[in-house]
Amino acid sequence: MNVTFETLARTTLVIPQGRLDFGAADGFQKRIEEGLAGAGSAPAALIVDCSALDYVSSAGLRVFLTSARAAQRAGIAFALCALQPAVREVFDVSGFSRIITVYADRATALAHTGPTRE
Amino acid sequence: MNERRTCVPADAAQLPVLTQFLQEFWSAASLPPAQAMNFELALEEVFMNVVSHGSSPGTVPRVEVSLLLADGGVMMSIEDDGAAFNPLTLPEPDIQAKIDERRVGGLGVFLVRKLMDAVSYQRNGSRNQLRMSKHIEEPLGGSAHMSPGSSGM
Repeated sequence: MNVTFETLARTTLVIPQGRLDFGAADGFQKRIEEGLAGAGSAPAALIVDCSALDYVSSAGLRVFLTSARAAQRAGIAFALCALQPAVREVFDVSGFSRIITVYADRATALAHTGPTRE
Repeated sequence: MNERRTCVPADAAQLPVLTQFLQEFWSAASLPPAQAMNFELALEEVFMNVVSHGSSPGTVPRVEVSLLLADGGVMMSIEDDGAAFNPLTLPEPDIQAKIDERRVGGLGVFLVRKLMDAVSYQRNGSRNQLRMSKHIEEPLGGSAHMSPGSSGM
């Protein structure tokens, strides 16, 4: 799985591409930790743009849960956006849609977590 | 091409092999790609369960996966010769729990039960067998095997 970063003001966008399965989970966890630590200073918000995320299993859900908790402890807003339908189904069925903020698309996520927000 | 079968050792490194096996079955049967993920997920969760729980010291169980195109859907069977273990007896996670109380893990089998239409466990001699099936909607191939409304499996 390929993971890229984008920074917009104090928001870090993490963009995973491909499959988040058991084999990819540890590597993805490390990339999110890098995103939360930030370059120099921690971001105000971290958004995972899932538009190119094709697959997620319970191993991937585990990464999102640990990351959301780590962000919460660090006072960093954490959200996902642009889930593909099959990935969305896994989030809904597992109840993760209730505990992790999910926005329809990147623009909405940025509007809710961006510079206008503390 | 109605049935495919493969066998691998219960080693996490074999997961991509099984995923590819499933994807090849899927495209050979002209099944709708959008519905492959539920089966890929079920295969990963059940296989990883065997990897985590099935081994006894010094032995690695063998895992046999078969996929069958049945009337209106797909049936997947996952058998292993590891320690007797019925994953369907695992307690369900509390999906209403708040983020701090939510257990990390315990979700895999729960997802399989929710995403498949039917899941059953059998102990066959020295083997565990988990069978799961799901109806497939609007097959792209329009295959005669996939006629809706007929029962079977």
